[in-house]
Amino acid sequence: MKISRKWLQQLVDLSGVKDEDIASRLTMLGIEVESYENFAARYDGFVVGAVLEVAKHPNADKLKLCKVDIGGETKSIVCGAPNVAAGQKVPVGLVGAKVPHNQHDPEGKPFQLTRAKIRGIESEGMICSANELGLGDDKSGIMVLDDAAAQGTPLSDYLGLNDTVFEISLTPNRADCLSHLGVARELVSAFSKKFIPRRIKITEDGASITESVKIEVAAQDLCPRYSARLIRKVKVGPSPKWLKGAVESVGIRSINNVVDATNYVMMELGQPLHAFDLNRIAGHKIIVRRPTEDETKFTTLDGKERNISPEMVMICDKEKIVAVGGVMGGMNSEISEDTTEVLIESANFNPSSIRRTSKALGLSTEASYRIERGVDPNLTIRALDRVSEIIAETSGGKLAPGIIDVAAMKFLPKRVELHVDHVNRLLGTRLATGEIIRVLESIEIPCDKKSETVLICSVPTFRGDIERDVDLIEEVGRVYGYEQITDSFQTKLNFDTRFRKSTVLDELRDLLAGAGFNEIMTNSLQSVDVAGFHEPSFVVLANPISEDMAAMRTTLLPGTLQTVGVNLAHGLKDMKLFEIGQVYRVIDEQQVVGRFLESAKISMALSGTADPMSFDRKESKFDIFDLKTEIERVLAFLKLDSWDFISYDTTKEYKQSLKLFVNGTELGLAGKVGKTALQKLSVDQDVYFAELDLTSLLALQKSTNRFRSLPKFPFASIDLSFIVNNQTPAADLMNTLRVAAGDMFRDISVFDIYSGEGIPDGKKSIAFSMVLGSEERTLNEGDIAGFIEKAEKTLKEKFSAELRKQKS
Amino acid sequence: MLEEIQKLKDEATSALASLKSSDDAENFRLQYLSRKGALAQLFEKLKDVPKEKKPALGKSLNELRSFLENEFESSKNNLGGKAATSDGNIDLSIPGRKRYTGRKHPLTQTADEIKRIFTNIGFGIADGPEIEDDYHNFEALNFPPDHPARDMQDTFFVKSEEGKYVLRTHTSGVQVRVMEKNKPPVRVIMPGRVYRNEAISARSYCLFHQVEGLYVDKNVSLAELKGTIAYFAKEFFNEEAKLRFRPSYFPFTEPSAEVDVNCFVCGGKGCKICKYSGWLEIMGCGMVDPNVFKAVKYDENEVSGYAFGMGIERLALLRYGIDDIRLFFENDLRFLNQF
Repeated sequence: MKISRKWLQQLVDLSGVKDEDIASRLTMLGIEVESYENFAARYDGFVVGAVLEVAKHPNADKLKLCKVDIGGETKSIVCGAPNVAAGQKVPVGLVGAKVPHNQHDPEGKPFQLTRAKIRGIESEGMICSANELGLGDDKSGIMVLDDAAAQGTPLSDYLGLNDTVFEISLTPNRADCLSHLGVARELVSAFSKKFIPRRIKITEDGASITESVKIEVAAQDLCPRYSARLIRKVKVGPSPKWLKGAVESVGIRSINNVVDATNYVMMELGQPLHAFDLNRIAGHKIIVRRPTEDETKFTTLDGKERNISPEMVMICDKEKIVAVGGVMGGMNSEISEDTTEVLIESANFNPSSIRRTSKALGLSTEASYRIERGVDPNLTIRALDRVSEIIAETSGGKLAPGIIDVAAMKFLPKRVELHVDHVNRLLGTRLATGEIIRVLESIEIPCDKKSETVLICSVPTFRGDIERDVDLIEEVGRVYGYEQITDSFQTKLNFDTRFRKSTVLDELRDLLAGAGFNEIMTNSLQSVDVAGFHEPSFVVLANPISEDMAAMRTTLLPGTLQTVGVNLAHGLKDMKLFEIGQVYRVIDEQQVVGRFLESAKISMALSGTADPMSFDRKESKFDIFDLKTEIERVLAFLKLDSWDFISYDTTKEYKQSLKLFVNGTELGLAGKVGKTALQKLSVDQDVYFAELDLTSLLALQKSTNRFRSLPKFPFASIDLSFIVNNQTPAADLMNTLRVAAGDMFRDISVFDIYSGEGIPDGKKSIAFSMVLGSEERTLNEGDIAGFIEKAEKTLKEKFSAELRKQKS
Repeated sequence: MLEEIQKLKDEATSALASLKSSDDAENFRLQYLSRKGALAQLFEKLKDVPKEKKPALGKSLNELRSFLENEFESSKNNLGGKAATSDGNIDLSIPGRKRYTGRKHPLTQTADEIKRIFTNIGFGIADGPEIEDDYHNFEALNFPPDHPARDMQDTFFVKSEEGKYVLRTHTSGVQVRVMEKNKPPVRVIMPGRVYRNEAISARSYCLFHQVEGLYVDKNVSLAELKGTIAYFAKEFFNEEAKLRFRPSYFPFTEPSAEVDVNCFVCGGKGCKICKYSGWLEIMGCGMVDPNVFKAVKYDENEVSGYAFGMGIERLALLRYGIDDIRLFFENDLRFLNQF
């Protein structure tokens, strides 16, 4: 919201107060000033010029050479505008001036005028368009000023823009500050200033309003107060310069002297007003009611037909709807040049109702914005008087005697009890009773002492946000100043196990970072297609930003592949990536919230070179076994002692796919990502990807470790080599060997696989290295031989394996 | 015979010098050292030499064998030996082999730092669901239905026939869940992912991360909140960090404040980063609103508390001087490897 200093100064004496102090004090009072601009400074270097003559540019058809008198001095200026003509008064930017808006720059960045040659002719300045000056959208040609303007006058003086405008960002609770009056109240308190006393001067004339207009409020729950005044013999026309300038200074378009007056009063006092052409009100009667079932359409002032519904509040005449209450008027009763009798509405509506209406219509106006935040119900009459004063002055209208005021009740100040010790306890202060009273009274909250430490505060109706003692405590803190409250830091530590959180995820991240992985974080929103492909029952958004972010992710795969793609596009080909993140689905059982199950997954991706080329070794690409290494690293870290990988579904798309089983439960997938998935994300190299169900793995994690005595006797290593069918899985052989070794088993690994010369067709030789040991003694040759015999026999029976050689 | 031995030695030595790969080495082994290799053949010939010459020739052959075997071993070990010159010197100026250096995501690192600071001063850690009901995300936090405060956050709604569910717009709902389940005193931080239905740009993303804090006990005051946040800022930024508490509004705290830290880029003089104000906004905070206590059945006359909430991305942007929030989720390795 824009607040004008000039306007404020009509309400409060701000002499000697600097702009920057206004900005910083308001900000520290919770009325955040985002920026402010001094317009006199903005138009430094711009003056009114008189165009003396216009000649053709010798080198360019579309350019003209102008002689411009800028007050005792004639400048030669090149101008490309089609409308420039001798005799005009125009805004001239001189060399050194900063043009607020560059209309040739897409962002409109300001630029500084320099002495420049344009097609060979020097230009000593620039004649500007309204757009370039930041005064409107018109960029079709230069801005032409009043003939009466004197050349040489600073442009800011001519425009009446010797003003500072503050851009204020208000929190939703401070509806009272949505006006110059509200901000002025804060300044009165902040700078210990006084309001400038001023009485509204109105003269009533002719027949009473009640003889010409009837008002009935049928929906008083939605409209607790409806006040109106009538002005006759109005001459609608352009607003005088001061009124136009004032509304434009706070960003409102000037329409005519009546509409501008209503907007002016809204910006000054905060009360939304609406002006009806009384002669277009059937039966000269206003009825405030809900629409009937037949009334489903209404065309608002902006020319749009809107769907209305029965819970909205409508302003109607005897025949039709004439306005959507609190939001926008209608075309059918709009003020026009022919209007002579103006009925001004100054009403108070139910905030939630207006908010719902505004949302339903997709229409937010200055009026609805204020009403949904809460407007002082006691402001209606003052606003009517003020607008009448202005309309009478600017349009020659005659104010009908009297006001129609339909109110549901008397709106009285709220009385709130405040305990001094509560104030000090919550703020951590030692404020005396008198200090608290002084602070509250500075913002117009009078306090009565019930006792030395208990106050009864009368909260004025313009502070609808203050209802309870804590609200008053906030006011005390705010106005006294948060910065005046001394910091306290007395952390006491108490033993509390309720909020101990396992650090295993942190450790897992450290582990993987240590193993060379980059941690990534990807979007948890994905397309419905992708989410549904991996999990039939997933979470869909009702109002997504876009199709590709319309569902909650069911897998981390797409985000990871996207990351691979992004990096490949930048020429980075080698990567180890991991992510720990949530996936989401809908299940049958009730969860903490609805039936939404959120569970953690860990993903790992390997792509490119496993072992980058170096001066003495060949590079090697990642393969599925590198991926298994990483998975096993995680499983071992979680102290799981056994797991199985089962290969599955070796279709074309998934050449090397594995499922991870722990204790018989499937807890993850791993494999080489299929071509189709890669192509979608323009990934043109192999990606090995694993995704494990982290929530379940953590549940299986062995948390406490018992120490086991170190082995007392040395281990024995033996190598065994078997010839088996090509199809026999190594893991099956290994499991069998493990079982055969029984208690002696310590470790096993595959160290060679060979087929070809010397091995029969369809067979392979597979060599294992085993470690055996005993708790009781050193194993002797007999033990080893016994094991080998057993192993040979079992493997022969189960796999027709032939023992090839052994080495111990 | 002696000549043959010498010839084999010369031949084999020069062959060893030209070994380049493990294939070469294997060939060498086959040619000279295997059972049917040149050396074995010479031994074979030993059978046929006169008895009296056998000892001397045998000795020479054995010497040749051990010489060749030793030379072969060391040549094999220096294979690819660009690093090793022929006299066995290794060029130690060659850099180490390139390996992957992993890193945690900068948001993780920032969150870890925040967690470290608060757990040091007695805060526990709690978390809650990202898909949240309207009650915990809004109503229990004193956002009435149809209240403009709901406009402060653009909300994603979940399609559901059974109730009103949202993607949580803040971690504040976890406050409610923590208090519903635990009697005071409670002192926790609650990190997590939150969502806003906003257009994606350099300044906003559809999701981000927050750390919520809550301390409820007897006689917790605004002064204590200020002191705690000041402690945090000094730890997180630097000892000189100056703070500014500006009155603000959040439905679930009363009084409420926005916290700014003095701009460490310009030192408060005003620059592009702080939008020429000299201050950088870092979090919102305030004293828990009595209506929130009512919702979780805490006795507002017995206890008071403070709550705060900060954006991890925001703090990471400030901490590292990053100018585009989208970088966090693009996962460009050139970005990730900087932290």
